[in-house]
Amino acid sequence: MSTQVETEIALPRRAKFHIGDLALRVVAGAAAVLVAITLILIAYKVTDEASAALSAFGLGFLTSSEWNAVTNQFGALDLIWGTAVTSLFALILAVPIAIAIGLFLSELAPRRLRAPVGALVELLAAIPSVVLGLWGILIMGPFLEAHVEPFLHDNFGFIPLFSGTPSNVGLLPACMVLTIMVVPIVASISRELFDSVPSDLKAGALALGSTRWEMVRGVAIPQVSAGLVAAVILGLARALGEAIAVSMMIGGTLGRPSSIFGSADTLAARLASQYQGAATALQTSSLAYLALILLVFSLVANFSAQLIVRRIRRRLGT
Amino acid sequence: MLTGAGSTLVYPLISQWEPDYNTKAGVAITYGAIGSGGGIDQITARAVDFGASDAPLSSDQATACKGCVQIPWALGATVVSYNVKGVSNNLKLTGPVVADMFLGNITSWNDPKIKALNPGVNLPSTKVTPVYRSDGSGDSFVFSSYLSAVSPDFKSKIGASTQPPFATGTGAAKNSGVAAAIQSTDGAIGYVAISYIAADALNEALLQNAAGKYPTPNVDSIKAAADAVTTANADGSITLVNPPASAAGAYPMSTYTYAIVPKSSPKAAALKAFLTYAITDGQTFGPDLGFPPLPSAVVASDKTEIASIS
Repeated sequence: MSTQVETEIALPRRAKFHIGDLALRVVAGAAAVLVAITLILIAYKVTDEASAALSAFGLGFLTSSEWNAVTNQFGALDLIWGTAVTSLFALILAVPIAIAIGLFLSELAPRRLRAPVGALVELLAAIPSVVLGLWGILIMGPFLEAHVEPFLHDNFGFIPLFSGTPSNVGLLPACMVLTIMVVPIVASISRELFDSVPSDLKAGALALGSTRWEMVRGVAIPQVSAGLVAAVILGLARALGEAIAVSMMIGGTLGRPSSIFGSADTLAARLASQYQGAATALQTSSLAYLALILLVFSLVANFSAQLIVRRIRRRLGT
Repeated sequence: MLTGAGSTLVYPLISQWEPDYNTKAGVAITYGAIGSGGGIDQITARAVDFGASDAPLSSDQATACKGCVQIPWALGATVVSYNVKGVSNNLKLTGPVVADMFLGNITSWNDPKIKALNPGVNLPSTKVTPVYRSDGSGDSFVFSSYLSAVSPDFKSKIGASTQPPFATGTGAAKNSGVAAAIQSTDGAIGYVAISYIAADALNEALLQNAAGKYPTPNVDSIKAAADAVTTANADGSITLVNPPASAAGAYPMSTYTYAIVPKSSPKAAALKAFLTYAITDGQTFGPDLGFPPLPSAVVASDKTEIASIS
């Protein structure tokens, strides 16, 4: 996404026509166009499905927290809130851990440990989310409820964030599951990034007398900062869109609890749990509206990532 | 070959029909237990030959399905379950009390209203945590229809739906999720399909019926409810919740589960033969699996419905 060298190699002009070149151009071009068309078609279809809700609720949909299939009133505010809170909280927990793992694997770990530990981290990303969700319900949720949440509650209960009753489902369990999903993505990308820092630079810094930490802080991290931003945004996209595991862990209720032990719901989780067998046509359309919001969120996240990456590149002059 | 999809509740019965009907009629039945909501979506898209749902089609769903008939073809029940440390099985509850718990009016298990129903039971002050289905569900429909029938307060604030807008508590996906949430939460009260009570060793609450009795939800008490109400609504569904007091042994949260079939189908003949088998010979598998046989009046009205398919 960010580490490719952006220089075009000037090929010598040849008079002879090469069928291979043409085929490559056509196949690669068609693949690129196909992706663009797919995205446009999805956006069109989602908007089309959402049109009934769009005309019934308009932009008021974004500021209403009603979700009632009996009275046919729908709004996304609480779901947007839940999505934002869980994703950001998961990123705050996951990014430092993931970058630390990346650094460990590329700079610090003994050589014979790197391959197995790296493979294990990547294996974590391969666990289907429904399995993580089940593990969350059966093992992590009860553990959090019995040990972690009472500890937070007893020691930090004066902060509203940690007040409330411990529960095996809710914001905290959902954020923990998301964290586990985000870590391997960010970790494996940052490992690649740190590996890509030229060893001359690292050796140079060390030769000038800097400690390993100074080398990491002064040379490695600035070199890859653009890439790290991109990695974080990829992690964010994962957290924003995760539906199944979150729907199993978050409690599936409307509301914006002030405590991280409370139940909430996210855009993707509600979409996953209610699309099948929605009771009214307007509900189906409102769920498509949620999908549209999610799509916009993801696009904004990706565009802003590209913008940040470009700005950092310009500053570094690479 | 006929394909179907939907309700998980009726699946144990259908899985017995599959080999039996194949031997008897030489027609293979393939059924995907993907959930009632999925079954409705699949038959609406005509991706299967029949759908199966525990809740009757809502009016929007019926419109979308373009001429579907719903045929009551098996009986089941939704059961209130709970988990309160120190309280044993078969706590007695009434519909209005359960409604108050789900409305947030009763917040602790030693509330005088629960105590009055259970003299001699030592109820702790544990907080009441309602657990409900976060996905669209036939059980939610039966549960909220029953509570709407017995509690005007519940009817006006929440109402009957496959996705009732519960005001308090936590949601969980599918029966298995609700069962897990009940098991792992001290003070939980929730509702599941009857088969999950035995399968997950959950406590079952005894609900008071209109006659003032507390029948155990089982084949006999569901059958008593079905025998008491055999007239269908305009859409072909039959409302079994809160049956009249004349049925003293009737379990008040009984329900029909429905086959949903397009009125005109390219496989009409095969479909009609299979449905006829399901409501007659097929019913003999029922009692062993917890499904009481259909009352003869319902078999008769089903036959009229089946005859209208072409």
